[in-house]
Amino acid sequence: MTILNEPPVTGTTTPPSSATAPPVRKQTLGKAVVNWVTSTDHKIIGYMYLITSMVWFAVAGLMALAIRAELAVPGLQIISLEQYNQLFTLHGTIMLFLFATPLFVGFGNVIMPLQIGSPDVAFPRLNMFGYWLFLFGGLVVAAGFLTPGGAASFGWFAYAPLSNAVNSPGAGADLWFLGLALGGLGTILGAVNFITTIFTMRAPGMTMFRMPIFTWTIFITSVLVLIAFPVLAAALIMMFIDRQFGTVVFAAENGGAILWQHLFWFFGHPEVYIIALPFFGIASEIIPVFSRKPIFGYKGLIFATMAIGALSVAVWAHHMYVTGSVYLPFFALMTMLIAVPTGVKFFNWIGTMWKGSVSLDTPMLWTLGFLITFLFGGLTGIILSAPPLDFHVSDSYFVVAHFHYVVFGTVVFLMFAGFYFWWPKMTGKMLDERLGKIHFWMLFIGFQVTFLVQHWLGVQGMPRRYGDYLPVDDFTTLNIVSTIGAAVLGVSTLFFIWNVLTTWKNAPHVNVDDPWGWGGSLEWATSCPPPRHNFTSLPRIRSERPAFDLHHPELAPPSARSQPQISSSASSTPGGGH
Amino acid sequence: MATTVYRHGGPSPRRNRRLSGVLFMVGSAVALSGCTANEAFFFDLPEPATEQAPIIQNLWNGSWIAAWGVGAFTLGLILWAVIVYRRRHPNQVPEQTKYNIPIEALYTIVPLIMILGLFWFTARDQAEILAVDNDQEQTVNVVGFRWSWAFNYLDEDVYSVGVPYGEGSPGEPPTLYLPVDEKIRFELTSPDVIHSFWVPSFLFKMDLIPGKTNVFELTPDKVGTYAGKCAELCGTDHARMLFQVKVVERAEFDQHMDDLRELGQTGQLDNERTTTEGQRPEERRV
Repeated sequence: MTILNEPPVTGTTTPPSSATAPPVRKQTLGKAVVNWVTSTDHKIIGYMYLITSMVWFAVAGLMALAIRAELAVPGLQIISLEQYNQLFTLHGTIMLFLFATPLFVGFGNVIMPLQIGSPDVAFPRLNMFGYWLFLFGGLVVAAGFLTPGGAASFGWFAYAPLSNAVNSPGAGADLWFLGLALGGLGTILGAVNFITTIFTMRAPGMTMFRMPIFTWTIFITSVLVLIAFPVLAAALIMMFIDRQFGTVVFAAENGGAILWQHLFWFFGHPEVYIIALPFFGIASEIIPVFSRKPIFGYKGLIFATMAIGALSVAVWAHHMYVTGSVYLPFFALMTMLIAVPTGVKFFNWIGTMWKGSVSLDTPMLWTLGFLITFLFGGLTGIILSAPPLDFHVSDSYFVVAHFHYVVFGTVVFLMFAGFYFWWPKMTGKMLDERLGKIHFWMLFIGFQVTFLVQHWLGVQGMPRRYGDYLPVDDFTTLNIVSTIGAAVLGVSTLFFIWNVLTTWKNAPHVNVDDPWGWGGSLEWATSCPPPRHNFTSLPRIRSERPAFDLHHPELAPPSARSQPQISSSASSTPGGGH
Repeated sequence: MATTVYRHGGPSPRRNRRLSGVLFMVGSAVALSGCTANEAFFFDLPEPATEQAPIIQNLWNGSWIAAWGVGAFTLGLILWAVIVYRRRHPNQVPEQTKYNIPIEALYTIVPLIMILGLFWFTARDQAEILAVDNDQEQTVNVVGFRWSWAFNYLDEDVYSVGVPYGEGSPGEPPTLYLPVDEKIRFELTSPDVIHSFWVPSFLFKMDLIPGKTNVFELTPDKVGTYAGKCAELCGTDHARMLFQVKVVERAEFDQHMDDLRELGQTGQLDNERTTTEGQRPEERRV
């Protein structure tokens, strides 16, 4: 083991030879598949999460295109209202539960153990079990389309009593409840795994307040998962028992309509932050690298993340302002307060770029797309937090526009940012910058055209979840614009697929640890891709930027610069791992 | 510790000219497209048609002015950082600033104060909008059912009920008549699933929840016909669950009540939830 005695060099270190040709590549396809599905390597499991999430993203994206096609002009052209309801229900369900949530688990799996200098996660087998629960849970939900009555059609939040056995009979709805309960269990196990890993498997020197922001967000997100997902799982199972065995937990005469909303949104709002915080973490990793500065206000950013996490479990009833059943001032105040730590994050990101050396490589470009999109989504969020304003636009296209700005702006923009950023780390190949920029601009413009006009539609009176509208409503022009935008957005994805395929074949192998040159966290101190147990040697961890200190010793703080040999701690590090 | 510190010059006059040029172009684009301020910046909020709606309109416009201000400021900072601090030399090494407590405190406290201001206006306005004073001049029980509406005019002892789309004539949505300038008390009930009563011109909606009666009061103050919609997903024909509101002079309202009486639509439709079968109200008349 050669830990801690690597000479401090500017630039990059040469990777171990084992990493240049991973053993998986040499095998036959069948063997590779067996290796993957039986693997306990956190990176492989992470890739499986990411790939599966992307497949679901494509499926739900195609559903969105069908929805937009139907809405382009008044009247029903391609699908019936019942099919329309199934499509938006599964679009929302898949995007939230089978794309965004497992995407967080995927990125967390691949990157987090690398960032804390660990050889793997704490429970590798549990990790794999969680993946299979997610995969089969998702397949169970989608299998609803194969049942005679079709898939669930009561919206992704399945309000009682619409979702009970009388109003939504059919196996598709039962599969929805059971599949999500199964997938939810997988997410809970993933969160347990992440928390244990972060608490117990950090490399020597990696104190909590030296962890990268991304790892912090994974940690806080996992805590939120443990608070929110058990409530969801309980509610889903109770509703299933209501449907199948005639219990009356959610019967309307017992106040079940409001009870379901409380339980669902007690999960549902933290869920919004479960899928947002890890991606904020990705932004916090990318901006410093492409500004050539450390993250501005590191501890402030962590406290802001904690504050968002804490407040996010106290705002659920802002989804229920128009039910006439909640104490509005409390939930309005809590909701508005979330804007403060979110604003802090924004200014920290701007502060990181301030007086930096900003370069718009693809990861940074995507992150800027996120900043601009999420800024507007945040502002409409403030508007919606005020109950008197929400009364008008609640359940309208204004809300649809708002949450796409927030969720798409965060998850999709930063997912692509993360892909372009970590692609060399994950695959050993760089994605093509030019294709990446075309991809970005088409998606950015397509997105803004699709969703900006929906604010006007909502304010003028178009309710969400309407498969049809009247010519006299005067919604046609804006809907056509929105549908054209959606088509551009959809086509942009082809550039990403092409980018992946062409660089996979043609791009040269990355043979440096940090192709971006200014990475700070530990994943940039190992080869691309990393070896089976991640590190053949670990640098000294004396700041929150150990890889930066290693590669730029002239800029490192004095404590990280001097190189005394600490062999006793080196031998106990989990970084060796073999 | 930094070896090279890049120092940028202040904003040049040329850059200032460019900035004012951009502002001028945005302004003239809005003006040339013939958009009003309401269309461009407030998303074309419908003209308020009740005495209470201008409260919402004022809060809406005021909040958006603040929001656009915050948004323009933050966007300006982002673009400034990207443009002014763009990389000019491949080997550029900026100063490695890690934090600045006074600035971080500033951008925590200032948003907090702004938010508390918004909360104060919000709390004041929602109390006024949702106040139930029980001094109404008419009481209407709005019943939403899958998939149409029924209106019980409680003080007139008449009712009208819509026909769901596809059953009989789909042409005319049910119409709620309201006398202008009279305070109306709405009692919202549902026999089956959750619906939501939304009249965009009232800038207001409230849910109809089975097992619960929701109440609000408002005073329509502009004669006219307004579109109304169900705003909470209620099943297959959710998008067909439309209605109209006709705000009319008192005489016309009385005439319509008499017309309903002549049709024999006296009494009230039962709005009690008695079964989960999703029966339509007219099937369960008392």
